[in-house]
Amino acid sequence: MEVSVMSSSQAKICKTELGLRDLRSCFGRNNDQNKIFSRRPNTVSFDSQISRLRKAGLRFTVKAVDSEPILEAKSSTSSKSLDRSRLFVGLPLDVVSDGTTFNHARAISAGLKALKLLGVEGVELPVWWGVVENEEMGKYNWSGYLAVAEMVQKAGLKLHVSLCFHASSEPKIQLPKWVMKIAESQSSIFFTDRSGQHYQGCLSLAVDNLAVLDGKTPIQVYQDFCESFKAEFSPFIGSTIKGISMGLGPDGELRYPSHHKPARSGTIAGVGEFQCYDTNMLNLLKQHAEANGNPLWGLGGPHDAPTYDQPPISNNFFKDHGGSWESSYGNFFLSWYSSQLVSHGNRLLSLASSIFGDSKVDVYGKVPLMHSWYKTRAHPSELTAGFYNTASRDGYEAVAEMFARNSCKIILPGMDLSDEQQPHNSLSSPESLLAQIQTTCNKHEVEIAGQNLASGAPGGLEQIKKNMLGENPIDLFTYQRMGAHFFSPEHFPWFTEFVRSLNQPELHPDDLPSEEVQAIESVQTSSDPNIHLQTA
Amino acid sequence: MAAVTVDSLLQNPTILLRPKSKVLLKPSRSLDCSRNRKTLRSRSSCFCSFKPRRTSHVVRASSSETALVDSFDTSSSDDVLYKETFPVERIEKVEGKIFIRLDQSKNQQDWQLTVGCSLPAKWILHWGVSYVGDSGSEWDQPPKNMRPPGSIPIRDYAIDTPLKKPSKGDMFHEVKIDFNPSSEIAAIHFVLKDDETGAWYQHRGRDFKVPLVDYLEDDGNTVGAKRGFGVWSGALQQFSNVLHKAEASPAGSPNNNNESKDSKNKNRPLEGFYEEQSIVKELSVGNLVNVAVRKSPETEKLVLYLETDIPGDVVVHWGVCRDDAKRWEIPAAPYPPETTLFKNKALRTLLQPKATGDRSGALFTLNEEVFGFVFVLKLDDNTWLKFKENDFYVPLSGASSVPGQHGQSDSTSEEISSKSYTDGIINEIRNLVSGLSAEKSQKTKTKEAQESILQEIEQLAAEAYSIFRSSIATYPEEDVLETDTSTTEPAVKISSGTGTGFEILCQGFNWESHKSGRWYMELKEKASEISSLGFTVIWLPPPTESVSPEGYMPKDLYNLNSRYGTIDELKELVKSLHEVGLKVLGDVVLNHRCAHFKNQNGIWNIFGGRLNWDDRAVVCDDPHFQGRGNKSSGDSFHAAPNIDHSQEFVRNDIKEWLGWLRHEIGYDGWRLDFVRGFWGGYVKDYLDASEPYFAVGEYWDSLSYTYGEMDHNQDAHRQRIIDWINATNGTAGAFDVTTKGILHSALERCEYWRLSDQKGKPPGVVGWWPSRAVTFIENHDTGSTQGHWRFPGGKEMQGYAYILTHPGTPAVFYDHISSHYRSEIAALISIRNRNQIHCRSTIKIVKAERDVYAAIMDEKVAMKIGPGYYEPPSGPQRWSVALEGKDYKVWEAS
Repeated sequence: MEVSVMSSSQAKICKTELGLRDLRSCFGRNNDQNKIFSRRPNTVSFDSQISRLRKAGLRFTVKAVDSEPILEAKSSTSSKSLDRSRLFVGLPLDVVSDGTTFNHARAISAGLKALKLLGVEGVELPVWWGVVENEEMGKYNWSGYLAVAEMVQKAGLKLHVSLCFHASSEPKIQLPKWVMKIAESQSSIFFTDRSGQHYQGCLSLAVDNLAVLDGKTPIQVYQDFCESFKAEFSPFIGSTIKGISMGLGPDGELRYPSHHKPARSGTIAGVGEFQCYDTNMLNLLKQHAEANGNPLWGLGGPHDAPTYDQPPISNNFFKDHGGSWESSYGNFFLSWYSSQLVSHGNRLLSLASSIFGDSKVDVYGKVPLMHSWYKTRAHPSELTAGFYNTASRDGYEAVAEMFARNSCKIILPGMDLSDEQQPHNSLSSPESLLAQIQTTCNKHEVEIAGQNLASGAPGGLEQIKKNMLGENPIDLFTYQRMGAHFFSPEHFPWFTEFVRSLNQPELHPDDLPSEEVQAIESVQTSSDPNIHLQTA
Repeated sequence: MAAVTVDSLLQNPTILLRPKSKVLLKPSRSLDCSRNRKTLRSRSSCFCSFKPRRTSHVVRASSSETALVDSFDTSSSDDVLYKETFPVERIEKVEGKIFIRLDQSKNQQDWQLTVGCSLPAKWILHWGVSYVGDSGSEWDQPPKNMRPPGSIPIRDYAIDTPLKKPSKGDMFHEVKIDFNPSSEIAAIHFVLKDDETGAWYQHRGRDFKVPLVDYLEDDGNTVGAKRGFGVWSGALQQFSNVLHKAEASPAGSPNNNNESKDSKNKNRPLEGFYEEQSIVKELSVGNLVNVAVRKSPETEKLVLYLETDIPGDVVVHWGVCRDDAKRWEIPAAPYPPETTLFKNKALRTLLQPKATGDRSGALFTLNEEVFGFVFVLKLDDNTWLKFKENDFYVPLSGASSVPGQHGQSDSTSEEISSKSYTDGIINEIRNLVSGLSAEKSQKTKTKEAQESILQEIEQLAAEAYSIFRSSIATYPEEDVLETDTSTTEPAVKISSGTGTGFEILCQGFNWESHKSGRWYMELKEKASEISSLGFTVIWLPPPTESVSPEGYMPKDLYNLNSRYGTIDELKELVKSLHEVGLKVLGDVVLNHRCAHFKNQNGIWNIFGGRLNWDDRAVVCDDPHFQGRGNKSSGDSFHAAPNIDHSQEFVRNDIKEWLGWLRHEIGYDGWRLDFVRGFWGGYVKDYLDASEPYFAVGEYWDSLSYTYGEMDHNQDAHRQRIIDWINATNGTAGAFDVTTKGILHSALERCEYWRLSDQKGKPPGVVGWWPSRAVTFIENHDTGSTQGHWRFPGGKEMQGYAYILTHPGTPAVFYDHISSHYRSEIAALISIRNRNQIHCRSTIKIVKAERDVYAAIMDEKVAMKIGPGYYEPPSGPQRWSVALEGKDYKVWEAS
């Protein structure tokens, strides 16, 4: 018992190379195991063991290191990655904007050095479909991104690549020109809302397997793109490149573009709208309705849903009591709408894991944190985004199960959001939603990586820290995003302090709710005191 | 010139008084009386002058040039391929003595206190007395007959008396105070002030106190009390020798210690004494590094000779480079003597002292294909000397192609250093990092290593920041908050939200200014005066024709004849303000506009003049004005039709108008009235179009109160202001109403704890977004004759002591600079400017208690407000009082 406890809670400590300039904290995702133990009759001895070890941190270290081989043997098949708490920083979205040009190279070069000294593990590099394959299908220009990868490698940092099959509004990066050209005559490749407005930020999931792109399906095009990427970056994959995020939809996230414009800070977001009105979606809906014996339900989305910026009460569909979402029609529609999204995610992630599965990289997909209106019963923001998650139904089960099936990990943005900072009466709760998704993912053994939505928001860094070190410690966090603001005197000192405090979490006992986490920390602090000096 | 040794430089009073001037080129008199002085070079404060040496200096330095060439080679100067003199500047700490002597004067009746200082400076004795029976540490004015000639009374409690040299040949300054011991004076208190640098010298952080009565309590800052003469020994004796020498001068000779010893024997309650206190003064000292390169005729190699007048052991940390990238490489041997290899990155050569002993140098032999020679200097106290914060660089390939061109690298080195700025830093880091990895097994890391890495990280971040801000991506950048309107200085970026970051605003009018009808002309008279107070920006009253005389009810925006003067007078004023270096803000009222005509319902909502809008330009949600525009994007101002900024034609007209004001009148920026009334995004639009130098918005709403008492936490209030700034995308700052409100409560109720928020930051906007916070304590609405929300009376200076020392951009109200606060405000501004406190300066709140608040800015300026006690800690900095007033005190680090 004792040995296995230590090996489980120690898994990460052995591997963190308690060495030079490594600021990351050493929290393993050991909760699962600990929970298992705590259900056993000898819980007490476990706890006392931990506290005793905490008093004698050094011994713990020594023992823990001894236990490493055992662990290696146990986990060699289950995990090919080096799991530990790691901090990444996102590179500017426009680091490469026309295929060959490496923007802000000098600034980034200086910035990478600073991050390395600070002990940051690596950087996240957004790779845009609209940049690499901009001119014509199958013609890729990777040179700019290769230059970035090289610089990152030279700086001794790791790389997390996000493959972006979507567009960005700020900075303006569109889908590839040739795709936009096709769209001129064939606007139904885009998501469409009730009023007929197209969303040009990514392709509709309904065309995934339709040969709408000059005879190829989008899935095929994505696959070619990924394979080209793999071929070009093979010297980096597994060594410098440790993770790849597969773009799954708007902003890379697995969701419908239910909110066209982000809510202004301090204002309350509306519920968003369902995006099932492009021809192909409507076809799918129609088939589904007919198959269910209710052809009339297949003519369109809910007629009584509010518009984008309206609150849930402004129409009948999302009402807390007696809203149509609870009717059998509601259930029919929402089940179909959300299952379409999960199938889409499954198509892309199985594609990605089949391509990258044999490389030493982790594959990630991003799941949004649709936290507005979470405190209502209907969770309208999640419903319009495609997550059939309500007060009475866990909509993330299917999502987590799909990620587990493809051995992919989830990136959750919004780890900087706290309930406290939400506008009053917004009925929003990022923290509860995060907790729910984490619980569901734990159940399916899907690992979660974190991201923040905005940098510089008040309290954001504290909240991130809380999430990284909390009950469900996050082993990889990507901080968004490098740029002028990031290095500005208004922001950078805070970030430095944040990184340093991650390394010295014992100063903030309030952030450490669980016993075993503290125990592990004491290991870290009791090890080489030089770490702090060198890393800080 | 460089032949002058540092020691002798320091002994030359002329030079010490004007360390920046180039008189150090003059050969100095060699005075040898500095045995009590030590030179201490500070570890971290060495830096290089940014100015490349001009040719003229080289010419003036011709004597030393000759010396250099002589020592270098006797062959003809045509052989010299390259010759350069790099000026370097170091901060030296010079230690001297303050001496205090109390003795009986010649007539055996009176006593005399002598205070002197061995360091040359324009010393002022700032002193006062306390009387028997006084409690506390308050000073009083001494009786008139005690004041030496030349004394100036300072308010009602102190005297400033300059120290003088007893005679021309003396090396020290002193002042003598005669007094009668039978008077009621219990003690004499004083501090010394260096009038040139403004630095104060105190005794253990407090004033010096010379007790004249036995029973005075020893507060720890007394000097000489009942200590007898046991202190006499060694070094002091030497000093007294100096005094002896000085005594030989005919007039005003100080008594030497033997005499005072005698007087001690004769006296009962009062004992004479002599005591010395050491004193350290920082001086910037110029040194030179001479480099000359010639081609050796025998070996076809380049011979580089490096020489410097920096005293002590100087190690050249050097390498060569093969291309423009200036990557350090280690050249092939031979190396000069005393050369060691440093971590395979560089070579270290200890410069050998010259025969004359005051200079040291070394000879380097280099292969011809070497592109350049790079080096930095390491002094014997571990200080690194660099050139323009970069490596020194001697181009060699260029030199050989253009032989005999002296000083050609003036421009070269300039260009190189700006170009390779980043590379230089990174090289530095690389050295540092590799140094660390090499030693990682050794457990010898110290706190200093950590500090230095942090510093390097900061430097790199600052570097990345400045490049990010100036570099333009092929697509617009994602999160640039600031639009740069100038690219002159990479270090000082100007953006409309902050100006240069060093701005200090003056509100150039009050609520009554319109009454004379000629305010523009009156203000014009004061232009140079306002500028001389240290302001950089002045805010003028709203210029348009207005229904109300003060200008805030504008009617025809293009009619700039107002109660303040005519349009031509306005232009003239702006011109004069520009001439004295002030930027000018126009007060623009964009929220509302008064109509010229009634509509068919008799409602005033049809406009005339050049912008003859109709009711479509008026928001529709104020029933008084029956607008046909969209709903207002902000709060309503009920006295006039609110403009609908969502209409494109309105926005285009406003942009055009702002552009016209910029060009026609010459306004540099805007003060935006009542910006609560419309969405900040429109303001961004207007600022992008009019490209102001500086812009600030008035977002004024109520703070949070619970049961009539102001809440400690005003986060919601400042968040609203921040939201507005955010909506403008940071293109405008905003008046920090939150800070004003909190200052009200803190000062009025003696609740200084309010001045720190839960996170230990300032509780106003300035705590969250300092660069966009325009701090103020009063304006034409809150104070003046309106007094809508007047700052607590009599406590204004505490308010200014706060905002003028803190980050943010402070604004001073006209009424205050024309009041008796003027000199104190001017002193605060000069402290701010002198210490280069700017809108992003760091702040550390060190005390926020019931009756005292204290903070330290940039580790350079400390301040306290409130009646409670605070003294800055004695740490690495020496704090000296820079300004003191009622319930406030400001210190500078020296």
